[in-house]
Amino acid sequence: MSEPRTHSVKDIFVDGPIDPAFVGTSIAKHATRMDIGAHEIFLGQVRADAVAGADDHPPAATVAAIEYTAYRDMALERMTAIREEAFAKWPSMTCLHVHHSLGTIKAGELCFMVFTSAPHRMAAREAVAWVVDRIKAELPIFGKEILSNATHLWKRNS
Amino acid sequence: MDVLLFGIIAERAGTHRLQVEASSTAELKRQLGARIDGMETLSYALAVDRVIVNDDVPLSGSEEIAVLPPFAGG
Repeated sequence: MSEPRTHSVKDIFVDGPIDPAFVGTSIAKHATRMDIGAHEIFLGQVRADAVAGADDHPPAATVAAIEYTAYRDMALERMTAIREEAFAKWPSMTCLHVHHSLGTIKAGELCFMVFTSAPHRMAAREAVAWVVDRIKAELPIFGKEILSNATHLWKRNS
Repeated sequence: MDVLLFGIIAERAGTHRLQVEASSTAELKRQLGARIDGMETLSYALAVDRVIVNDDVPLSGSEEIAVLPPFAGG
């Protein structure tokens, strides 16, 4: 399936986790594109981090899930700008697909997908890493880490 | 003006939307500090019309203002 290069605002947000089967379907949709020679896919998964207790006591809990919210309009505007920059930096890139979860995503489930395709591997590989970093730094997405002991923390990207 | 709150800041304020009268972002920050418990301990950015502003800028009241805690996407 061809990605229109119109740079219109696309909705990247999906409610709930990204189904692994969706990843397979996404790959299959590119089978008709004979100019593509390389795909790169980044998948973010919710990690069951151990959270230290007070005063460096042994871990009090682990992350059971992350509840994602976003400032939707700003996130989609930023994403449109990042998409345009990515196509300018890697003009050979055939397509770029981004999906991010909102709502409660349990540990072990997928919450983020960036999928690039190009005629050759370097453009796809460089672009996917660049786009992932830019999204993590610039999109107003917020994560409430729900802990196994029923308390919560607010995630922040380093 | 309506100010949109997100994440930990919405949680502290107990609401996702706050009515504030402010003629600049500096004044807005002072008012947020006065109205939201523990605001001085939180790191946040202000977005005016969906763009982050770091300097003190005047506000007319018609802008879309948002208070953004650290990002956590991905």
